[in-house]
Amino acid sequence: MRMLRAGRWITVVGLVLLAGVYVRALAYAPAEQSQGLAQKIFYLHVPAAIWAELAMVFVGLASVFYLFTKDPRLDRFAAASAEVGTVFCAIVLTTGPIWGKPIWGTWWTWDARLTFTLFLFLLYVGYLLLRGAVMDPAARARFAAVLGICGMVEVPFIHLSVYMFPTLHPMPIVLKPGAPSLPWSMLSTWLFSLGVFTLLYVGFVVQRYALSYLREQLEAVGEVGHA
Amino acid sequence: MLEQVPQNGGYMVAAYIVAAGILIGYAVSLYLRARRSLRA
Amino acid sequence: MPLPDLLRHSWSVAAKDLLVEFRSRTAILSVAVFVVLVLVVFNFGRDPTAVSNVDLAPSILWVTFTFAAILALNRAFQLELENQALDGLLLAPIDRSSIYLGKLVANLVFVATIELIGVPLLALFFNVRVLPYLGPLVALIALATVGFVAVGTLFSAMTVRTRFAELLLPVLLLPFMIPPLSWAVLATGRLLAGRPLSEIVGWLNMLAVYDIVFVALALLLFPATVNE
Repeated sequence: MRMLRAGRWITVVGLVLLAGVYVRALAYAPAEQSQGLAQKIFYLHVPAAIWAELAMVFVGLASVFYLFTKDPRLDRFAAASAEVGTVFCAIVLTTGPIWGKPIWGTWWTWDARLTFTLFLFLLYVGYLLLRGAVMDPAARARFAAVLGICGMVEVPFIHLSVYMFPTLHPMPIVLKPGAPSLPWSMLSTWLFSLGVFTLLYVGFVVQRYALSYLREQLEAVGEVGHA
Repeated sequence: MLEQVPQNGGYMVAAYIVAAGILIGYAVSLYLRARRSLRA
Repeated sequence: MPLPDLLRHSWSVAAKDLLVEFRSRTAILSVAVFVVLVLVVFNFGRDPTAVSNVDLAPSILWVTFTFAAILALNRAFQLELENQALDGLLLAPIDRSSIYLGKLVANLVFVATIELIGVPLLALFFNVRVLPYLGPLVALIALATVGFVAVGTLFSAMTVRTRFAELLLPVLLLPFMIPPLSWAVLATGRLLAGRPLSEIVGWLNMLAVYDIVFVALALLLFPATVNE
């Protein structure tokens, strides 16, 4: 089917460009003076974190519109965004400690950002578990929408805490008021990475959406499992 | 006083491998799941 | 539906639940036992020379209260599972919001009862001074409790008919409990250590905002969890 093929192509392009990001980040971007090479994890960690959060916002928005319109396409999109968001969240939660260990001396610290990325991951896992636990498709969509909306509303509270807790976490240097305080060689690499992660999000979501659609068709004919 | 740049390249490599692994792994899982659904 | 009717119906729903609960008393009993268990374990687990009672107090309090909350929430809609009582409730000519508010009130009363027992017990067995801070402490506990019970009541309506309901509810609830819980634990710690009230006010405000937002949201979303 066309959507699936489009999704696959986008993903392939995204992965190829990801290789480009890798080359650029590892070979071209300069090493940071005080942190050493480990700092380069930043080029993967931060774009993944941005999309891990944006994906949840999209889940929330799609959920809101779903409750008003009951359009199953919105539900499919929410499910897709949630799954992809979980994957990106996993990347943040793995690259984060790997970055933290050499810099802070510890794998984990209950600092605000790390902790709440963990909670974001738990939000995602809960959402996926709820979808898996409800058999009736209409109820599943409604319940997922309720949870999705609550999750989206929860995210700002998560952010609120970042600036209230003392933290080891580096303060924002790219997404902050005023110009980003990075040299161009680093900033351009970071922007490139952000673009690639955006592309990957789109490619993954499109494929996952198509998968939902395929499974729904199977479900309608009485095959085992559900979307 | 010239400070030594910390030698932590190993962590960088590990993180880059893990991230690539997750992304490629997910892409493969999507491919396989769709193929299974198409075959059914 | 006009507000007086809404409140009256909510109270009817709450009263029904509370009546059933206090008649059976099993839940209250198990939480009371849990409170004592926690107090005992924490007491024997600590080194008195290294850790002061005041350091442990917030953790003890909030572990107990969250356990009570989850217990209450798991039972919240279970009452209606038998004899399809939920359908009866839904057929009644009352607003869906009344059902939610009634359940919320019943759950809050249950958890509040535990809290009313837990704080004096803690003060007694652990020799922690709470009377000087009673006002702010009550406010803190009340605000945080409303925060996670509000969300929990909404979620329990959804999980009650799933297969592993008792397991799924805490999993879903966990990320929503931790913000109010962490603020509450931090603030309780500061409060019991005698810090000035000005330090606590920030957390009280955040908890209040959290409560307002999520109670409103739950009221809006609740119909979606019970409409067929």
